[in-house]
Amino acid sequence: MEYKVEAHRIMSISLGKIYNSRVQRGGIKLHKNLLVSLVLRSARQVYLSDYYSGACLNAQSEREGNEWDITDSEREKFPPSATECDRVESTEETQPNEQPEKEREYRENDDEVKSDQVDCTSTLQEQNQNSSLDSVAKVSSETPPESITEPKESPSDSAVAERDSTPEANGESHQPPKTHVCSNRKRSAEESESGDSPQKRTKVASSNAKEDEEAEEMDTSNVSNLITIFGSSFSGLLSKESAKPEAEAEDSGQICCDQMLKNLNPWSTAIVAF
Amino acid sequence: KNEISPFGVDFEILVSLVYIKALLCSVAADIISTVEFNSTGELLATGDKGGRVVVFQREQESKNQPHRRGEYNVYSTFQSHEPEFDYLKSLEIEEKINKIRWLPQQNAAYFLLSTNDKTVKLWKISERDKRPEGYNLKDEDGRIRDPTTITTLRVPVLQPMDLMVEATPRRVFSNAHTYHINSISVNSDYETFMSTDDLRINLWNLEITNRSFNIVDIKPANMEELTEVITAAEFHPHQCNTFVYSSSKGSIRLCDMRASALCDNHSKFFEEPEDPSNRSFFSEIISSISDVKFSHSGRYLMTRDYLTVKVWDLNMESKPLETYQVHDYLRSKLCSLYENDCIFDKFECVWNGSDSVIMTGSYNNFFRMFDRNTKRDVTLEASRENSKPRAILKPRKVCVGGKRRKDEISVDSLDFSKKIIHTAWHPSENIIAVAATNNLYIFQDKVN
Repeated sequence: MEYKVEAHRIMSISLGKIYNSRVQRGGIKLHKNLLVSLVLRSARQVYLSDYYSGACLNAQSEREGNEWDITDSEREKFPPSATECDRVESTEETQPNEQPEKEREYRENDDEVKSDQVDCTSTLQEQNQNSSLDSVAKVSSETPPESITEPKESPSDSAVAERDSTPEANGESHQPPKTHVCSNRKRSAEESESGDSPQKRTKVASSNAKEDEEAEEMDTSNVSNLITIFGSSFSGLLSKESAKPEAEAEDSGQICCDQMLKNLNPWSTAIVAF
Repeated sequence: KNEISPFGVDFEILVSLVYIKALLCSVAADIISTVEFNSTGELLATGDKGGRVVVFQREQESKNQPHRRGEYNVYSTFQSHEPEFDYLKSLEIEEKINKIRWLPQQNAAYFLLSTNDKTVKLWKISERDKRPEGYNLKDEDGRIRDPTTITTLRVPVLQPMDLMVEATPRRVFSNAHTYHINSISVNSDYETFMSTDDLRINLWNLEITNRSFNIVDIKPANMEELTEVITAAEFHPHQCNTFVYSSSKGSIRLCDMRASALCDNHSKFFEEPEDPSNRSFFSEIISSISDVKFSHSGRYLMTRDYLTVKVWDLNMESKPLETYQVHDYLRSKLCSLYENDCIFDKFECVWNGSDSVIMTGSYNNFFRMFDRNTKRDVTLEASRENSKPRAILKPRKVCVGGKRRKDEISVDSLDFSKKIIHTAWHPSENIIAVAATNNLYIFQDKVN
């Protein structure tokens, strides 16, 4: 479990570094941000590998449907995500009371949440499209975790141990991150379909905001800062010289965002987080 | 001279007091960002974060003052680069000098290349000790004379004046790099040089500023597929067609410019397989090469990554000839070093003149030397508290665990804000220059 906390901490630190690189003098340093993105990816793989393994053990219940608004085509597009979200739905039901207030709070921060989704979306898209997709499938069939976290021998060992104990024992802290992860994927599915509609993104954001809030119990202050940060000028990231090639076109920042969302697969490095 | 291992020799402090005094009064922005001796060792150039270059010149030996042998004094100071703003991309371009490289001396003037993130400049440093006097059309103060008052003509003559050292920019090589320049290297043909950024290497002619040739381009068509960047590059010291570049993945590629115009395909590929038992979140960061240097002989390559220095034989690509642990005790602290950004420090490494000793920096103002022949190593500290002029440097030791001896320092007591990134070794003598934040230390071996 400590490895999960550690991985999450490293992820937060890495995202903070990526943010800081945007505001530092001299522009984005490609080398440093490439290295940070590699660390971010490694930490995320460790973090999520444990998540998937734990999610398997939860009983599934019916999905609530309305706020998710996922079409069948989207479900096909992201089959593992659908099943995971089912699992996550069941855990969400344990926290119905918190949702309304947080939803209200977050409506004010729609833009920021949207951008944070975009960022997390990118990470999850990669999760889907890379070989980790296979790893997820393997987890579902109860393959040992070494295949997922192969390079990280010690974290995977602890992940094995964790899987055997039920996630319920971990309580709130275990579930919200999963919720957060899953809700982002849902939003990404919608956004990819809708293209350049910030309004729709905003609407989706507000309805899913509650998961966002719950998800970051472990690190709320960090992430809400990041949300604010990414929200205000995420498109600016894409127009930096060292960002993706879309940015090197003379498009507006908004279109850059959309292009990036459409081209999120494969996400082999977190350069896309720019 | 220094054919014998210098480890029988103690290093005495030879501090350039003028420089130290000047920096005590200067703003904190003047962190030294590069140090380089010229090819004879007569001159030492430093660049700083504020875009300034300070050049030191070695005192000539004189019988009158034998104790002042080899002291370096300030010779010239000039502002090489200014902060710029790229309006198209809304980016500020830092004036920090990333690298200085001297050109070989061909006449009375000295030439060096200095670069910031985007622009390389060729500077001429020359002395003026005469000035013309006796103009016809203007008087001694420079005021224009009324032509109607001139009744005779005279020939201006050169009169001696106080020595003045002036630096003038002779060439500006700009607009060739999208990413940040990390290296420059002068070719042994003395006609061309290369400048390297994260993804591309460009070849220039020293005379031509409006054109450069791209010789390496590792930018992927889709930036999402980016996995490695170029971290350093250098020309071979004797073969003008050969150069190497290092990558963030810990590999070095040797390229031959005769093979093709674009050297994306390497002639040799140097990489050591990773030790799987050392795998961690930060394995990729610590394997990124921060500096690469050819030996003076051209037979060996030295690379620096976060924890080690490696010497490679150009004829063996599979693994390095020698590996030296600089500060392996940091391996268990990588997470903290990631948090405070120290893990991104790009330490440099240098050879001594005979390629028998290598030197690199560490934290707590420590720097390390490794004797390749005897396999002995020493840790020294550059600090004013522990140093007095002419005093002998005392070897330091880091205690990694267990009982700490009296003059050892424990890993947890190390000051990670005091780091020695930039060092230089005189091309033929045992004189070293060590930059510790905004202080420059010059050490030389004890005068017998």
